[in-house]
Amino acid sequence: MRRLLPLIAILALFAVPFVVTSPYYLHLLQTIAIFSIVVLGLDIVFGYTGEVSIGHAALFGIGAYTAGVLSMHFDLGLWPSLIVAPIVAAAFGALLALPALRVTGPYLAMVTLAFGTIIQILINELVPLTNGPLGVKFSTPALFDWRVYSKTLPFLDMSMKRMKEAQFFMLSAVALVLVVVVINRILASRYGRAFEALRDSPIACDCMGVSVYRHKVVAFVASAAFAGFAGVFFSYSEQYIAPNNFSFDLSVLFLLAVTMGGRKSRVGPILGAAIIVYLPNLLADIHLFRIAAGAVAAVAVVAGGASALRNPESRARVVVPVALCVAFFAFSLFLENIADYKLAVFGVMILFVVYYLPDGVVGFLKQGLAQAAPGLFARKAGSAAGPAGDAFVAAPQVDMERPLLEVRQVVMQFGGLKALREVDLEVRPRTIHGLIGPNGSGKSTMMNVLTGIYTPTSGEVRFEGIDIAGFKSPRIAALGVARTFQNVQLFGELTLLENVLVALQHTYKSGMAGIAFALPRARADEAAARARATAILAFVGLAELAAEEARNLPYGKQRLLEIGRALALDPKLMLLDEPAAGLTAPDIKELLAIIRKIRDHGVTVVLIEHHMDVVMSLCDRITVLDFGEKIAEGRAAEVQSNPRVIEAYLGGAAQAA
Amino acid sequence: MNILAQLIVSGVSVGMVYAVIAFGYQLTFATSKTLNFGQGEALALGALVGLTTINFLIGQAIGTFWAYLLMLPIVLVFGMAQGAVVEWLGVRQAIRMKSEAGWIMATIALGIIFKNLAENIWGRDPLKFPSPLPEQALQIGPVRVQPMEIAIVVGALALMLAVEIFNRTSIFGKAVVATAADRDAAGLMGVNTSLVITFSYALSSLSAAFAGVLVAPVTLTGASMGAVLGLKAFAVAIIGGLSSGIGAIVGGLILGIVETLTGFYISTGYKDVPGLVLLLLVLSLKPSGLFGKATIKKV
Repeated sequence: MRRLLPLIAILALFAVPFVVTSPYYLHLLQTIAIFSIVVLGLDIVFGYTGEVSIGHAALFGIGAYTAGVLSMHFDLGLWPSLIVAPIVAAAFGALLALPALRVTGPYLAMVTLAFGTIIQILINELVPLTNGPLGVKFSTPALFDWRVYSKTLPFLDMSMKRMKEAQFFMLSAVALVLVVVVINRILASRYGRAFEALRDSPIACDCMGVSVYRHKVVAFVASAAFAGFAGVFFSYSEQYIAPNNFSFDLSVLFLLAVTMGGRKSRVGPILGAAIIVYLPNLLADIHLFRIAAGAVAAVAVVAGGASALRNPESRARVVVPVALCVAFFAFSLFLENIADYKLAVFGVMILFVVYYLPDGVVGFLKQGLAQAAPGLFARKAGSAAGPAGDAFVAAPQVDMERPLLEVRQVVMQFGGLKALREVDLEVRPRTIHGLIGPNGSGKSTMMNVLTGIYTPTSGEVRFEGIDIAGFKSPRIAALGVARTFQNVQLFGELTLLENVLVALQHTYKSGMAGIAFALPRARADEAAARARATAILAFVGLAELAAEEARNLPYGKQRLLEIGRALALDPKLMLLDEPAAGLTAPDIKELLAIIRKIRDHGVTVVLIEHHMDVVMSLCDRITVLDFGEKIAEGRAAEVQSNPRVIEAYLGGAAQAA
Repeated sequence: MNILAQLIVSGVSVGMVYAVIAFGYQLTFATSKTLNFGQGEALALGALVGLTTINFLIGQAIGTFWAYLLMLPIVLVFGMAQGAVVEWLGVRQAIRMKSEAGWIMATIALGIIFKNLAENIWGRDPLKFPSPLPEQALQIGPVRVQPMEIAIVVGALALMLAVEIFNRTSIFGKAVVATAADRDAAGLMGVNTSLVITFSYALSSLSAAFAGVLVAPVTLTGASMGAVLGLKAFAVAIIGGLSSGIGAIVGGLILGIVETLTGFYISTGYKDVPGLVLLLLVLSLKPSGLFGKATIKKV
């Protein structure tokens, strides 16, 4: 049934041009479909990765103008444009996203805003290419003349103009349905999981080899391609484009559509697109505007009243937005001339949506329905585990002759503070190496240096002979270094299975295209990864909780899940940062067994731990740090009797003795 | 050679206007990691309020120069009030809701509202701002300079210097610096961080309003005068580094000069392009900006 849904949607939409006979309304619906494609694409960036683009109108315009340039200069029509325009828009998207996403902060928003303005100027200036302010004309193509069948099917009898309009509407509708299908597939794939994960914990994402930067760029480039694709439809739908069509205001409208409709859904952006397409009409007609404002006020009063009756505590929270809605309606009654205050009303709408409707109309309805009928939106069992595979692939190949990890003379300086002072460390393959020391001795700093979160001020970090100092975290993870975190960094909103699947990213061989077309290879990748993830969960003893969200786990189990997630990287070296912290005695026993098994499977382990019994019973060798310096190294017994170690832990007493 | 010198001199005065606006971005970014996407509108409003005030004062038979000086404090106070409103309506709630993008949308929305109001009050046509200094250009060595261009450079430097001195010497300035360094820790030490953030927005809009009345006499004044300036200042803030006052000045000068050169040697139509190119180049080569410090992630 679910697989037939797109087909049913297409057929239903095909009927529309025969029902809606007014060219005006058909065009309106068509514009909604086209804007929906842009807004759905923008949702990938804005809703899923949390970045803001204020340049989508420009990317949309680039798509439209690609069609214009192809038709003016190369005499190429709709079909070639549909292939070329997304590529051109994606290239511009990459040009913006590659630099702008290197830093966290509002940079993408600032860069895209600048880009939007400058593209508009460029289109105006590049007269030979774009025809400048005069714009470009298009003629809607006829796909095939169906009027030959009008004898048998009388409803096909229509004028040439109307037939073209009907056909182009159908084409836009097919495009919209296909875009929805493709976006659904991308978001259900490893990409969608990575988008969720990178918002929960960017650092963990990077350390699992899933580069936050790369995925944000991918999201933006894909989103740009959708905008470019929609741009082609726009130019043939409007039959005339000019630089003014693609202004800053349109970019803001797109953002408003995502927010108002509801982020992270398919229905939301389409609803949002419908609102923004209809908005100019609403803001042009004072009577219509009053009716709409009245309707909104009525809904607010009813919804607010119901909420206040059910939950008296929420009264204070509800009263402000309801009052604002009513006040806005009153204001609309006094307003004589709406044309002059159009933009101000638009601005007020954005503010209202941002503050009182942050999850959009769809989110608002979902919340209401969930209260009325709990369980309706319970997480589907779709993420439940399938048949299990093997938790471990073959033991990693390592050179047994030399140390797996060699740290030489590493210094890590933060301003005036030296957290690590010329530390040396050698970890031999297939051993468990303990790293201990009092609080603040530099153990976690060392972990962060080893996994690329910090770049050491000086010194070498050699992993299998390669100096990885200065490498970024995802690259180090790809070389085979996995880690857990002292303060647990799980992807809270993902299920346990999905947490492990994120780290299994490296096992997938098919790319974005394979996912978009649901090729057998992409499906096989997913099935294999799921089997593997199930086995890994079983290995750490969490199999029966596979479909639970990670944030609901008790603390001890969260630590086990982190170990499972790290295992999914198929690491050669696993760094465990205080895995026993906060665990109960039986849990610790289980943990010891798991760590031993990991070592027995050929994985080298570096263990930071404060539980001395854990360290002493597990570790083949131990290094002791104090104030950023290595003060001792050797087997457990040697370290335990070392006077400098005793002094570090117990203070000057050892010296006196 | 003379032409080049002349172009550089005009580039400097344009660049200093960018620098003042970019400085405003830095002020709020330091304390709250947010900035006002409606800064251009704050600039336009400042200039328009200045215009009404100066025209009123000239109507009271005060000379243009003195009228300009008398107008300045009024515009600065208005700028502060406008900034506080932006913070109160646009930023505070979004920060409280932990909404990542809310403040961006909200400040854009406020910018749109302010611009629309300005259009309804002052009209859509650009207006002429009376120049407090003679419009006759001075001949200094090989170049001709308008007195107002010199005033822009001096005024811009004076404003940034004043804010820096305030931050470094007064106790409230120390609270600003502390909030910038670590908002949570400053809050725990008894600093009223939300007041500090409001204040930084007030100062930010003050800078924008000041930039507005500095630039108004040499260009046309109107509701949409700020949009492009605000954008250029984005580029400047990123080029120089969002955390460095010196960066804003150097970035402003670089962009101002490159733009005037492009305008002369290539075409005035492409004057706005180098901003974006420089912006993308700096982000690719040194993402924290020419003078910015890379931040350290905490795990």
